[in-house]
Amino acid sequence: MKPPRFAYYDPASVAEAVELKSRFGTDALVLAGGQSLMQDLNTRRTRPDALLDINRITSLQELQVGPTHLELGALVRQHRLETDPAVRRAVPLLTGVTHHIGHVENRHRGTVGGSMAQADPWAELPTAAVTLDAEMVIEGPAGRRVEAARDFFTGRGTTSIAPDELLVAVRFPLTPADAGWGFVEVARREGDRAMAAAAAQLRLDDAGRVASIAIGLTSITDHPVRAAETEAQLLGQVPTADAVAAAARAVEQQVDRADDVHATLGYRRHLAITVTQRAVLAAVQRAQEGDRP
Amino acid sequence: MTTDITPAAVDAAPDGQPKRKWIGRSMKRVEDPRLLTGRGGFIADQKIPGLLHAAIYRSPVPHGRIVSIDATAALAIPGVVAVVTGEDCKAKMNPCMNFGPTTIPQYPLAVDKVRYVGEAVVAVIAESRYLAEDGVDALKVEFEELPPVVDPMKALQEDAALLHEEHGSNLAYERTFTFGEVDDAFAQADLVVSDTLHWGRSAGMPLETTGAIARPGLNGVLEIFCNSMNFSYFVWLIATALNVPSNRVTISPVPAGGSFGSKFTAHKVPTLAGFLALQVNRPVSYIEDRFDHIMNSDHHASDRYYDAKLAVTSDGILLGLDIDVVDDYGAYLQFGVGTHGNALSQGVGPYRIKNLRYGLRAVLTNKCQQGAYRGFGSEVQNWVLERLIDQAAERLGMAPEEIRRKNFIQPDEFPYKIPGGNLYDSGDYPAVLDKALSMIDLEHWRKEQKRLREEEGRYIGIGLATTQERSVFSSTEFWYWFDEPAFPITSSPESATITVDPAGEFQVLLHSQAMWGNSPETVAAMVVAEEFGVDPSTVNIRYADSAHALPGTGPGGSRFTVMVTGAIRGAAKKLQKKIIEIAAHTLEVPPEDMEITDGRVQVKGAPELGQSLAEVALTAYFFALNLPPGMTSGLEEAYTYDHPLTTLPSPDRSDLGIFYPIMGHNCHIAVMEVDPETGMTTWLDYVAVHDAGTIVNPITLGGHVTGGTAQGVGTAQLEELVYDSDGQFKSSSFWEYLVPSATEVPPMKLGHVETPSPYTEFGIKGGGEGGRMATPAVISAAIDDALREYGMRVRNLPVRPADIVAAVQAARQEQKAD
Repeated sequence: MKPPRFAYYDPASVAEAVELKSRFGTDALVLAGGQSLMQDLNTRRTRPDALLDINRITSLQELQVGPTHLELGALVRQHRLETDPAVRRAVPLLTGVTHHIGHVENRHRGTVGGSMAQADPWAELPTAAVTLDAEMVIEGPAGRRVEAARDFFTGRGTTSIAPDELLVAVRFPLTPADAGWGFVEVARREGDRAMAAAAAQLRLDDAGRVASIAIGLTSITDHPVRAAETEAQLLGQVPTADAVAAAARAVEQQVDRADDVHATLGYRRHLAITVTQRAVLAAVQRAQEGDRP
Repeated sequence: MTTDITPAAVDAAPDGQPKRKWIGRSMKRVEDPRLLTGRGGFIADQKIPGLLHAAIYRSPVPHGRIVSIDATAALAIPGVVAVVTGEDCKAKMNPCMNFGPTTIPQYPLAVDKVRYVGEAVVAVIAESRYLAEDGVDALKVEFEELPPVVDPMKALQEDAALLHEEHGSNLAYERTFTFGEVDDAFAQADLVVSDTLHWGRSAGMPLETTGAIARPGLNGVLEIFCNSMNFSYFVWLIATALNVPSNRVTISPVPAGGSFGSKFTAHKVPTLAGFLALQVNRPVSYIEDRFDHIMNSDHHASDRYYDAKLAVTSDGILLGLDIDVVDDYGAYLQFGVGTHGNALSQGVGPYRIKNLRYGLRAVLTNKCQQGAYRGFGSEVQNWVLERLIDQAAERLGMAPEEIRRKNFIQPDEFPYKIPGGNLYDSGDYPAVLDKALSMIDLEHWRKEQKRLREEEGRYIGIGLATTQERSVFSSTEFWYWFDEPAFPITSSPESATITVDPAGEFQVLLHSQAMWGNSPETVAAMVVAEEFGVDPSTVNIRYADSAHALPGTGPGGSRFTVMVTGAIRGAAKKLQKKIIEIAAHTLEVPPEDMEITDGRVQVKGAPELGQSLAEVALTAYFFALNLPPGMTSGLEEAYTYDHPLTTLPSPDRSDLGIFYPIMGHNCHIAVMEVDPETGMTTWLDYVAVHDAGTIVNPITLGGHVTGGTAQGVGTAQLEELVYDSDGQFKSSSFWEYLVPSATEVPPMKLGHVETPSPYTEFGIKGGGEGGRMATPAVISAAIDDALREYGMRVRNLPVRPADIVAAVQAARQEQKAD
């Protein structure tokens, strides 16, 4: 478990990093928190010619709460999402999902941008991004562009970042004061990869009907997806336990991850329904209770 | 964690004062300070000038002939020194040590054929491990693939491909033992419960893997530094494999960061390191990385398929047990079927079952070989027996504690000979059960179970098990399986040397590879302290290398504390005699009037008349003319302690003899919640009461119980070494092989009962295997109990959340169909 030979660069600015990415293209990999990449290097699952360590780029470490968005620099450590009260106030779902990312040691090193760019099917932050319609800020030789999260994740471990581009920030819309959220994950052990997880955020109108709803699913296919059919069934309805249970059944057809040593396809289908149902009910309860810090 | 100790009856002298000063007292481990400050001196920390590093090319195919190995590109890498293959092994060494049939030979690098994914094929030796791995990457190895043999039942079919052509069959071993009148017992039974069970393949997974450094040294001696191996028992077998005279191989023990059985006689790593060093005539390090360890270790553990039956009367008396087990041993059979000797040593558990049939088929498949893991195969038998008893209790409407209590061997029946011939030395099983029941409010939980189900739709279950923990193996268990064993060994000794130096300070020399994360030094220090009345923190412990070692066997089968205590006490008695004789001679009093108390030798009843040990030591070393006539200088004694109670098997094997008599016992009770929609479980309560005879150190015994319970959780719910139907290995990292972490292990209440062994020093029994003896049984029972309305029955370990949900879903489908 020793990595093969690679060249190491530690650019001090985004411009320098983009220049290196332009030069190496797919032969270079970006090192942010290293919680996945270092394992892949040591087990030789990946063999880049060059490693671009972006940890010296201080501008990527910034976290800003703007009038409409929470903007997280790509190097913001995951641990900050669960401990910074500003994040909890701005986008409480983010704080809720972060606790499920590995263990606290991983979260101290792991970054927001790293998790997005790694795009593991079981990862929590990509699911939060898809659920909350986050925007990915990407910089390349031609300048900055912004991509919707739901277009960003294209498959297992793949994103729309071009070989000469760098993900520099992720913008989450501020959560409305009356919204409730829920996140439910099932993993073999605490901190393990999710066998299935669901994130939900919704608002209720004065009659208790669902005024807006977003549900994102983790680990049921090769990238995070929205539970569009379930969302559509619940919109405008009073989210009783029965109604939620019935609507959650619609996610079953979205599950297509094959059997692995932890979960069969059939189990994952049942689990997807269960976590969807529980996440929505938790969101309903928070919306009803007005549970905001 | 709370601990509650019921003291042994012999623990107090008539005046009510504790009879012992150190044995039985909680003492922090003397090993800890150096381990916790990074001075453990582990194998990877050893710095040797000119050291080369080896990495292994592991087979990517489950079964195949090695057609060609092209090392041209690898050897062209600067820093790569040599490439060694199975051809070299075949030409220059003998097969590795092996207690199985000689028709199933093994080399540290595959010869001619590969027999499982991960088997070592080629070693690349380089200036660094990085370069060695680059060399491995550059190898071109061609295989002619053969049909993989994965399912042990299919392995026995006529048309199955053979793993070892010269053995002629994939059936490595078959025998059925019948003890008592089994058929009569089943004919008389009012109820026969039966089950088909599978105990899945797991393994000890220590933080530190197995590693060795070998160095060609002075006078043609090959020095091997190694964290595995009971070297004083087996160094000559390593020498035989390496074709080197046994006096030209020296193994030096290096402390290990955990074993759990995985370093017990782990021979492939030191053998390979030694062979590689001889090929390049330079020091070579081979330390398994996690891939090596998880897929090519010496020690995957039991992988057993059972058809098991239990004969019971209508009032719950257990009459007979009929076991038919197929054990999927993998590609080699290094220990023969010793893991089943462990099962037979406590085949009927703590129960008065008079009749036992045990049919075993050991099968060869394209998987890594089996070896040792905490319990050594006896824990599997515990699980099977407890599964059947739970089923009998349910069928008869008896509480789990009731049926067990009814069948316990009673305290006045010891020593008790079980079917098969092994002897249980002592025990008080009702006391252990009573103690466990006193530490948990079962009535509360049973009410709560009903209430939560009815009011909140939640499912909680209670599991209870009472199981044996045999300790102190005798080596007869390795060969009584065979009518004409090649090497019917009967020794399994342990030795100790105690030295009082000229300043009166104590040195203890241990003679085996004893430090595997356990507490050999703490035990040794406590026993010396007890014997001489000195503070244990002043006793220094060292380890002999194989060139200096007296006979020793090392830890394994929960033997070390019992055996090393016997050795130290034996040496202490000799040393005490010499000390008293010197002091008596100096003070001109009769030796029989003197005693050793609190580090002094003094006249009984007149403590002011005496000498310190330092004074005696000075005389012993420097004043020969002051010694009693005939006595020689120095103050050092050694003692070799043989197994305290073992007998030969009968020639016809109707009686296997006494081979594992120092019998511990335990009762575990678990309360768990099961979520039928996710299959996930949550701990609500857990009690573990163990009887390991006289306790030496409650802290370390508690650690064994807790750690064993954690590993029981792993085996029951998380850990599995999975080969798919094509023979590919699916569990090569810790993403797939899930070791329990703090969040998966129950908060435990620990209790101890002390029933001293009449056969060991101080009455100590082994307790090293701890909770793993019982935990799989209580988890299985608790899950069944929680989901009783779904007819849940755990038959396959580990029971994954997916399995639980599948069973619930199937039951719901059936209920809907009705």
